[in-house]
Amino acid sequence: MMNLIDDLRRLVGDRATDSSSERLCYSRDASQVRGLPDYVVRPLNAIEVSEIVRLAGRLGVPVTPRGAGTGLAGGAVPIKGGILLDLSGMDRMLELDLDDLQVQIEPGVIPERLNWALKEHGFFFPPDPGSSAMCTIGGMIANNASGMRCVKYGTTRDHVLDLEVVMADGRVIHTGSRMLKSSAGYDLTRLMVGSEGTLGIITAARLRITPLPRARRLIAASFPTAEAGARAVIEAFSAGIVPSACEILDRTTLMVLSKCNPNLALPMDGDLILFEVDGSEQSTAEEAEQIERACSAAISVRIATGKEEMEEIWAARRLVGAAVSRLDPNLSRVYLGEDVGVPISQIPTLIARVERIAEEAGIPAMKYGHIGDGNLHAALFIDITDEDRWGALERAADRIHLAALDLGGTVSAEHGIGLARARYMERQWGEGLDLMRSIKRAIDPQGILNPGKLGL
Amino acid sequence: MTGKPDIREILKCVRCGTCRSVCPVFRELGWESTSARGRLMIAGHLLDGGLPDEAALASLRSCTTCGICKEICPAEINSPQLIEGARRAISGRGLLSEAQLKLKTRIQATGNSLGEAQDRLAWMTEKEIPDRAKAVYFAGCLNSYRYPQVTARTLSIIKPLGVTVLKNERCCGSPLLRTGIAAETIDHNLEQIRATGAETVITGCAGCYTTLKNDYPPEFEVLSLSEFLEEHISDLKLKSLDITVTYHDPCHMGRHNRIFDPPRRVIEAICNLEEMKWSREEARCCGGGGGVRSGYPDLSLRMARRRLEDLPSNVETIVTTCPLCMKNLNDAGGMAIDLIDLVAQALPEHASGSGSSPGH
Repeated sequence: MMNLIDDLRRLVGDRATDSSSERLCYSRDASQVRGLPDYVVRPLNAIEVSEIVRLAGRLGVPVTPRGAGTGLAGGAVPIKGGILLDLSGMDRMLELDLDDLQVQIEPGVIPERLNWALKEHGFFFPPDPGSSAMCTIGGMIANNASGMRCVKYGTTRDHVLDLEVVMADGRVIHTGSRMLKSSAGYDLTRLMVGSEGTLGIITAARLRITPLPRARRLIAASFPTAEAGARAVIEAFSAGIVPSACEILDRTTLMVLSKCNPNLALPMDGDLILFEVDGSEQSTAEEAEQIERACSAAISVRIATGKEEMEEIWAARRLVGAAVSRLDPNLSRVYLGEDVGVPISQIPTLIARVERIAEEAGIPAMKYGHIGDGNLHAALFIDITDEDRWGALERAADRIHLAALDLGGTVSAEHGIGLARARYMERQWGEGLDLMRSIKRAIDPQGILNPGKLGL
Repeated sequence: MTGKPDIREILKCVRCGTCRSVCPVFRELGWESTSARGRLMIAGHLLDGGLPDEAALASLRSCTTCGICKEICPAEINSPQLIEGARRAISGRGLLSEAQLKLKTRIQATGNSLGEAQDRLAWMTEKEIPDRAKAVYFAGCLNSYRYPQVTARTLSIIKPLGVTVLKNERCCGSPLLRTGIAAETIDHNLEQIRATGAETVITGCAGCYTTLKNDYPPEFEVLSLSEFLEEHISDLKLKSLDITVTYHDPCHMGRHNRIFDPPRRVIEAICNLEEMKWSREEARCCGGGGGVRSGYPDLSLRMARRRLEDLPSNVETIVTTCPLCMKNLNDAGGMAIDLIDLVAQALPEHASGSGSSPGH
């Protein structure tokens, strides 16, 4: 190991380091997981990645891939040390093939930048995590990330046609093709999506792109209870409407938002559901009307069509994450128990349980999220300099995870498992986890790729 | 403005990485230690008693303190302030870079950041200047020594409006303060300003402006040259010019002190203004500030070249209100002029000694 840094430098020059400060900067993501790498390397192509992985394999050194380090579960934190591969510098857009509705990109491309480039051609890449401005598409694929618009357009996995992957033995394989459909053998692409760097390292991705809709409408409906809101969502779905976004903001969230911005143009009298429909002028007008009818139990319904009006409402929605620290500078949001999912019909029950759990822990909680696909973000806030509060927070997060599983849900709907949620995998998967372990052993027998993650 | 950075402020960082999407230094270098998020992790480590290695020093010193991270931070963390605080902490431990030592010695020896031995007022064409006046024009080191025509034009235009200059101006303190070193020239300048009896200090340099405004005691009003020109725009009887220019917001005028509109209003009183791709709050840094131009000249130039990519098509002339931005953008191949150069062109008759075209 003594001269591994020299070997790495022979491969990539000054894009490899063992400086203690640089290692410190790569020891965390946006979660509470910590792990110091021994080396940080910034490769620029699949050949370099392959050589680094072969070298690591010869020495049995762990390799942990990382995009922008914006993850919320420690997926890119090198908890067993070894080599941290920073892939964010591999950020070229390789091919734009509009005729075949696809692009090929390197994993470090930032989704917002891809969408800027696609916009002028009338296309977009739909998955839209809150971190679209800074995360990488490689990280999105590794975690099967999604966002508000996925209720209509599907999650990242639905947009991946082919991946170039460096395997644990250094081989470079392709998991798919340019084809929009294929029924030839195992779906290796889907095996890699969501594998969090434990099966291979993505060095290029071919993505399906989608035409931009011509019109959008936003319907903001305020309900006396979250349950009534969830009923309206189910009713709208049953009427054949697939909204392009379907969000819930509970009354605690609204109260906090209104304190941050008293001029906020949102109804404050109940739990709020935001529906967005997209398509043509005519189709969105019709669907907005249908949604209004589905919201018969609402206290108030407001339909927004103006670009600015809609942008203002979405801006308020985006503010949620940071809102409480603006209200009370001593409180910080801690991302634990923040990404559970349940079947849509169970959302009101989950909200009620999260409310009780937070109350019993004495922790303020905002509940908001993508009700259209059953994904609830519980935002818990504590004074992070207070040790006792950390204990209470961890217990509350644990109970939220168990509540979701109890309701037939998942501990992570879009952020991933990493280390933060690894201990729930057995409970969520049962024997299915054994199969995952077998797959891992078959593909990475030495266990050098992102070891310690996914509860494998 | 002294003391250690507050650990609580650093802990507010949830490492969401939003700063990565805008940090111009990170854009060039790519290492996590060169983003605001990485710098805060390093600053926190130092506050915990950690020892700085080369990468830590480079991380903290390579920030231009442009403040775009602060603008976008969901937790509203003031990274530039924390980074300056961490710089003070490492300077306080006696860890000065070669560039910092050189700067400190130069300023001590010559009173200016360039180490120039000649008369600071050599640019002045006026034979007489009043000892006392309502307002003082603070020229700054860079404008005095590198852009004498800018200072000469400025004074000739604003002197009739009741403005004088300091007989013995010294460095405002900005280059030292921004890199975390106490500036002894502040007291000297203060005495000079007091002696003139001026209630207003006017400066055409972003570094001087932010320092006079935020690091000097609030005994006098501080105006940027663009604000002063805007106030007196009708007195100047400017004619309009049939040209189109763009405007580069200096970070320490714009984001740090919210002077976005005055320079634009002055420009629009003269000619067409077309904005750069990123402007106002979102304007990208030219790479010159925070000690980066002297400490990391290559990085600084790369950032300036990147900034030139934001130019609107078919517009060449970049108007700005900071000599450091002007110098950096020009060194990178741009065509940057000071706002006063544009004003001078639009005067009913050119001020004496100002030449016929905006030069640099």
